[in-house]
Amino acid sequence: MGNYEPKIVAFVCNWCSYAGADKAGMLKLNYSTDVKLIRMMCSGRVDPQFVLDAFRKGADGVMILGCHPGDCHYRSGNLKAMRRFNLLKKMMSQFGIDGRRVKIDWIAAGEAERFQKVANEMAETVENLGQLHLRGYVESEVQ
Amino acid sequence: MMSEARRKTSLFLCGCSTHISDTIDLKAVSEWAKKRGDINVIEIHNLLCSPDGKKFFAESLAKNKPDNIIVAACSPKMHEKTFQDIAEEAGINMSHVQMANIREHVSWVTKDKEKAIVKAEALINASLKRVMLAEDLEKHSMEIVSEILIIGGGIAGIEAALTASTAGRKVYIVEKNISLGGTIIQTEEIAPNMECSPCLLAPRLSEVRDDPNITVITNAEVTDVLGFYGNFVAKIRKRARYVDDSCIGCEACFEVCPVTLDSEFHLGLGTRKAIYTLFSGSVPAVAVIDKGNCKHFIDNSCDACVAACPFGSINFDEKDEDIELNVGSILIATGYNNGEVSQFDRLGYGKIENVYTLPEFERIASSNGPSNGEIKLKNDKKPSSVAVVHCAGSLCDEGIPYCSGVCCIGAAKVGELVRKQIPDAKVFNIHNDLVFAGPKENAFFKKQVEEGTQFIKCSDLETIEIRGKDGKILVEGDGFSPIKVDMVVLSTGMTPAPGTVELAEMLNVDLENDGFFKADHELLHATGTSLDGVYIAGCAAGPCNVATSVTRAKSAIGDAISKLVPGREIELEMMTAIIDEEKCGGCKLCITVCPYKAIIYNEKENVSEVTEAICRGCGTCVASCPSGAAKAKHFTDEQIYAEIGGLLYG
Repeated sequence: MGNYEPKIVAFVCNWCSYAGADKAGMLKLNYSTDVKLIRMMCSGRVDPQFVLDAFRKGADGVMILGCHPGDCHYRSGNLKAMRRFNLLKKMMSQFGIDGRRVKIDWIAAGEAERFQKVANEMAETVENLGQLHLRGYVESEVQ
Repeated sequence: MMSEARRKTSLFLCGCSTHISDTIDLKAVSEWAKKRGDINVIEIHNLLCSPDGKKFFAESLAKNKPDNIIVAACSPKMHEKTFQDIAEEAGINMSHVQMANIREHVSWVTKDKEKAIVKAEALINASLKRVMLAEDLEKHSMEIVSEILIIGGGIAGIEAALTASTAGRKVYIVEKNISLGGTIIQTEEIAPNMECSPCLLAPRLSEVRDDPNITVITNAEVTDVLGFYGNFVAKIRKRARYVDDSCIGCEACFEVCPVTLDSEFHLGLGTRKAIYTLFSGSVPAVAVIDKGNCKHFIDNSCDACVAACPFGSINFDEKDEDIELNVGSILIATGYNNGEVSQFDRLGYGKIENVYTLPEFERIASSNGPSNGEIKLKNDKKPSSVAVVHCAGSLCDEGIPYCSGVCCIGAAKVGELVRKQIPDAKVFNIHNDLVFAGPKENAFFKKQVEEGTQFIKCSDLETIEIRGKDGKILVEGDGFSPIKVDMVVLSTGMTPAPGTVELAEMLNVDLENDGFFKADHELLHATGTSLDGVYIAGCAAGPCNVATSVTRAKSAIGDAISKLVPGREIELEMMTAIIDEEKCGGCKLCITVCPYKAIIYNEKENVSEVTEAICRGCGTCVASCPSGAAKAKHFTDEQIYAEIGGLLYG
């Protein structure tokens, strides 16, 4: 465990949060390398299965980052994401996963500092929680 | 798992002229990639987006003919298209180019060089897993319909129509009221230049009437809109006028009609008959019978108009008509509504005689108004003093929370109009803020001060009390001594036009929190809406003056006609969703989550179907489909699962 580096997958929407992360880059705002991004067109595209899949494949934390409510590029995809997320979060404990390992948040294209903050806070939270050991997890099934 | 057919992968590592290579040792990454054995070609370039770099990229593609291309460089938002275009030229479908963002997301945000390498490798691995599952994206296009529908026949709609017609485009104006003109015709003069509004409008109305490119449909409303940018179908309900087109508006029938009603055009201050036009010289000139109030329709007891009409134009049998228009774009120019003040007891509106709103005062002062332009009190005497209350019903929670920005100049105009007729009249403008943006507006304000209007500052407009006292009106409030006047004008703001919410729902476009139509982009596309091909102009886009109204109209219509060139094809979104009809259970969940009404239900086959021309590819339906029937092109479940795995096992 000693050298534990958490693995955090962030599903980010193309228009707000991915752009916010890009801006964090432009401003050279360092953040934890534990946080790695997967670009979606909209946070509404995030199937709860993606979150579960990430945990199954060894993620210690998962974030869904979208546009602020009211600012969705596709009108309301982020709100759909939020509704699904609330249900998902309730179910996490049934899978033996601490609810703090999943997070949904909104980051606008200009909110570079906020992106940095959210990424670092998540990294810290997950680091404190320690590595995730899923019961019934069979590594050989995972490619 | 690697598909047999898609084996060959090229990886391009861009140094971004030290922006990447200073932090990430690309040689080390290249070694790592080589060792993997599943990347056939590994190229390093110092600046791949430079002319030299692009040439290098193109030559490598031509030589190695890869199936999968990974460009580990900057954000896809910067150069994905650059490299996709080159790939397309080399005969490789754009979907097979995948960027790994090792600049914004790695080199620029990571100090530890070892960690930077590990993260870069993870991103490249994820990109590789994803791109191997990419399927070709097909370009779709369709020929556009170049006709344009303009909803609202006020000054914005009229100017937009004339502009489109100048370019030779066919337009339809659908106007809810019985004739064109909107609200500008209810004002006599427009400040600060005091231009004559009816004189401004009259020639434009005749131009519209005589323009073969413009079809005017009045007394009509849009009832439904289907379709998408370049190909909308709008359903219009045209209410019967009961007077046919042979009517020239001679008004002979008005005299004989026995029914007298409050006139909406005069805001209830004057009267009209049950057969009427809004004003002389309206377009169309044809009168209308108010069916609900006409004695012929009520009890068949009158046909005085039939006898009086020299042209035999009355037609009691006329029916409402449903019209379908096929258009490429829609311009919303539905105007605004006057702000309400009757909910404020303290303002005395509707209770105290001679307390008017600014729009009502405009009617009184207009030569086409109820008193033929004579400013007078209810008792027919001329007022010797007038108080104008600024921001009445505005900037407060119970009324309009915002500043409409154009009422101040209208309020300042009251003094000018009053003094023209009653030179000794005293005019007091009670205000807290004053908005006179621009040199001409400010000069107009100064002129009013010089000519005698007293601008009195009230420290809190919510304390204004208006009461009747000794046959006069007493205006009191914090920060000034009470004033006794003969007439009060409440300067009201602008609210969204009636029916705005319904129209927004019908068109599937967004509204602002203030209730006006929301611009696609406040700065760059202020006259576009959240839906492609639907535009906004005039006050539909928010309170504004006549000049801005017309500017918005021309901007919107210019944008529309520049895109809707007859014969031109429009490219449709490639990354749409599709629904596998074999897997679809017909639960319609996708239909409820689609923000664009892009999914329709096929009753016959019991499946949902995506209209690809409307779909924008957000993928929300895909995430919600319980049977896995919906698929997001280029963002398939398989691709995302592969990317997740690639990221975690990098």
